[in-house]
Amino acid sequence: MASVELLRLSNVSKTYEPVTGENVEAIRGISLSLADGEVLALLGPSGCGKSTLLRLIAGVEIPTSGNIERASGAGNKQFVVGYVFQDSSLMRWRTVRDNIRIPLEILGKNDDKRVTEMIRLVGLTGFERAYPIELSGGMQRRVAVARALIHEPSVLLMDEPFTGVDEMTKETLQGELNHLIRRLHVTGALVTHDIEEAVYIASRVLVMSSRPGTIIEEVRVPLPDERQPIMRIEEPFISCCRVIREKLNLLQAVK
Amino acid sequence: MLWQFTSAVGLVPRYLIPPPTEIVKELFNPSVDWPKQILATTATIILGFAFGTLGGVALAFLVTLSRLLRKILLPYLVGIEALPKIAIAPVLYILLGFSDLARIVLVVLLTFFPVVIATSTGLVDVDQNLLYLLRSLGASETKIFYKIRLPNSLPHMFDGLRLAVISAVAGAVIAEFISSSAGLGYLIINAQNFFDTSLAFAAFTVLSILSLALYGSVELAAYIIMPWFRKK
Repeated sequence: MASVELLRLSNVSKTYEPVTGENVEAIRGISLSLADGEVLALLGPSGCGKSTLLRLIAGVEIPTSGNIERASGAGNKQFVVGYVFQDSSLMRWRTVRDNIRIPLEILGKNDDKRVTEMIRLVGLTGFERAYPIELSGGMQRRVAVARALIHEPSVLLMDEPFTGVDEMTKETLQGELNHLIRRLHVTGALVTHDIEEAVYIASRVLVMSSRPGTIIEEVRVPLPDERQPIMRIEEPFISCCRVIREKLNLLQAVK
Repeated sequence: MLWQFTSAVGLVPRYLIPPPTEIVKELFNPSVDWPKQILATTATIILGFAFGTLGGVALAFLVTLSRLLRKILLPYLVGIEALPKIAIAPVLYILLGFSDLARIVLVVLLTFFPVVIATSTGLVDVDQNLLYLLRSLGASETKIFYKIRLPNSLPHMFDGLRLAVISAVAGAVIAEFISSSAGLGYLIINAQNFFDTSLAFAAFTVLSILSLALYGSVELAAYIIMPWFRKK
């Protein structure tokens, strides 16, 4: 059975018009699609418009040209996204529990059981009443992931979710995220400039050029959906990373 | 001890700096109606502080909710904040008469601006990602205001309140220096006229305690209202 397409971007461009200075063309002519249960990684250099693309998908910004079609997906009445940001962006005035609950509040839902279950899933049981300031960086990222998944979003948007975390914690968090994504059957779009992160989490990697961002290459990840840490040192993972690195190096050379 | 000793042995003339024992004695002098003087100054501070800060918070809300108002008013507010508002006190007495109202208005002027600027900064200077998050979920601007802007503004607002409460005490005393028939500022200026430094120091001591108590009240309110901030 063909999987349902949740998102389709057709020839999408975005140009910012600053109050002073010249217009900035962030992305140009992006076309992509995202199927139910698929995790897509957008990989490219800093400033290539990856985060802009996520904001366009989320609907918080409007494309200058092109078209974005969104479908709600199974179980959802409307298309709704979950958002994980680079620096967690937690509400420092809310406890762990209240931070995770915020999407439900906005959507007018009340499901305390699900909040408790989500806290358990991300391994924060016992920290429900803690404030973000009392948590380690890794724990804050777990809260951000739980907040993004609590309302069963149509698409999970991850904007460099583990930037600034030490390598060991990053690998642990990547493993946990991959496990959650597969377990909850999440459809996601991951923005990153970390090749290994893209390959470890995504099923498909789109390599973007520097600004204005365009998609220059698509690489399918030849790994099973459920990833294991051991895979990082196995041939398919390493060769996939190498292919992507070569594309990026070529891009640098052309530049 | 050193203060008491230097005054007692006459190293410093008692009429310039009286020993602490004399200041304490002055606090229990039955010829000074301390409750009346304290009440007069406290009333001016509290009323001025209340109107000034409530007005400041209300205007901060307005300039945050309306981009047009923000564009029109904010440059003027910042400009006025930079002016030495104490200097306007004599003009206030001309405009409003030598009344309690003039004294309260001076305190309002001194407390209003720090609060409006600090609060509006906290309401506007929010984590952009949180705005994206709530907007992506379809939250209205009103919801964003209550869920993000308002709680985010609290530490800024309390910074403004701390400045405002100190300014309120200074403003009330200066207003009483210029014209009043009661209050701690009135006592200090009278004591100066009669070279009664013991009384002046006693009034200053009471004023300092009052100022610390009011500042402490703001700190206590911040401690209660922002449990997440004290954990810093």
